[in-house]
Amino acid sequence: DLDIRRNFVAPFSRHVSVLNCAVENDKEVPKKDEGVDKKPALVLSDSAVSRLEEILKEDNFLRVHVEGGGCSGFQYVFSIDKESRDDDIVITRGGAKVVIDETSLEFVKGATVDYHRELIRSAFRIADNPQAEQGCSCGSSFSVKF
Amino acid sequence: LKGRKLIPTRAALVLTKAAVDRVKELTREEPGVLGLRIGVKQRGCNGLSYTLEFAKEKAKLDEVVQQDGVTVLIDKKAQLSLLGTEMDYVSTTLSSEFVFNNPNIQGTCGCGESFNL
Repeated sequence: DLDIRRNFVAPFSRHVSVLNCAVENDKEVPKKDEGVDKKPALVLSDSAVSRLEEILKEDNFLRVHVEGGGCSGFQYVFSIDKESRDDDIVITRGGAKVVIDETSLEFVKGATVDYHRELIRSAFRIADNPQAEQGCSCGSSFSVKF
Repeated sequence: LKGRKLIPTRAALVLTKAAVDRVKELTREEPGVLGLRIGVKQRGCNGLSYTLEFAKEKAKLDEVVQQDGVTVLIDKKAQLSLLGTEMDYVSTTLSSEFVFNNPNIQGTCGCGESFNL
């Protein structure tokens, strides 16, 4: 997956300015998180951002965590936290800050964090998770594609 | 027995104060709405799941629950499974939702949304 992306990017960068080339070459050094750097690890939806701006205080953030459990094998856990850890990846948009640890990110890479409002319930949820095969109806649990 | 009506001795559904407040809040924003209607739907990993919608008028077989100035209608299909249930509203920073504390439930899903009887 990474190789394909590199081949795709490289011919373009050659035609752009020298400066860009230099930057691009810098990145050529194999790095573990390259894929994460290029694409946002998690997308924050508009409603999630506005809700987070409402509820987050000072250096608080929303932590997303994936753990075993639920009817489909894995489930998403949301919490408000203020202590970051070494393997945390931070995603910000506007005044919203979402943090996820590296291991959990493997299971939700490219998914959207959304605040879903309904009559019966309003809650954070993970939507459009490319790594998930099928989920529970409420969306809190899912199984992983292999 | 003709002409005699069966009068229930107690309401089919009891709302907590939090639930009453929330229903009031929701219906105030929607003009011309009678109340909320609770239904059940066949979905979720554990069989059934509750649904909630605005009701403009009472359907023929709806059970009407009136409490503290709010009206909640119970859909025909949901009546059996809701009998004796307490409807609560739980609000935290991360989520806010109506919760049905149902004594008839045998099992629920991890998230508590679907259940079986």
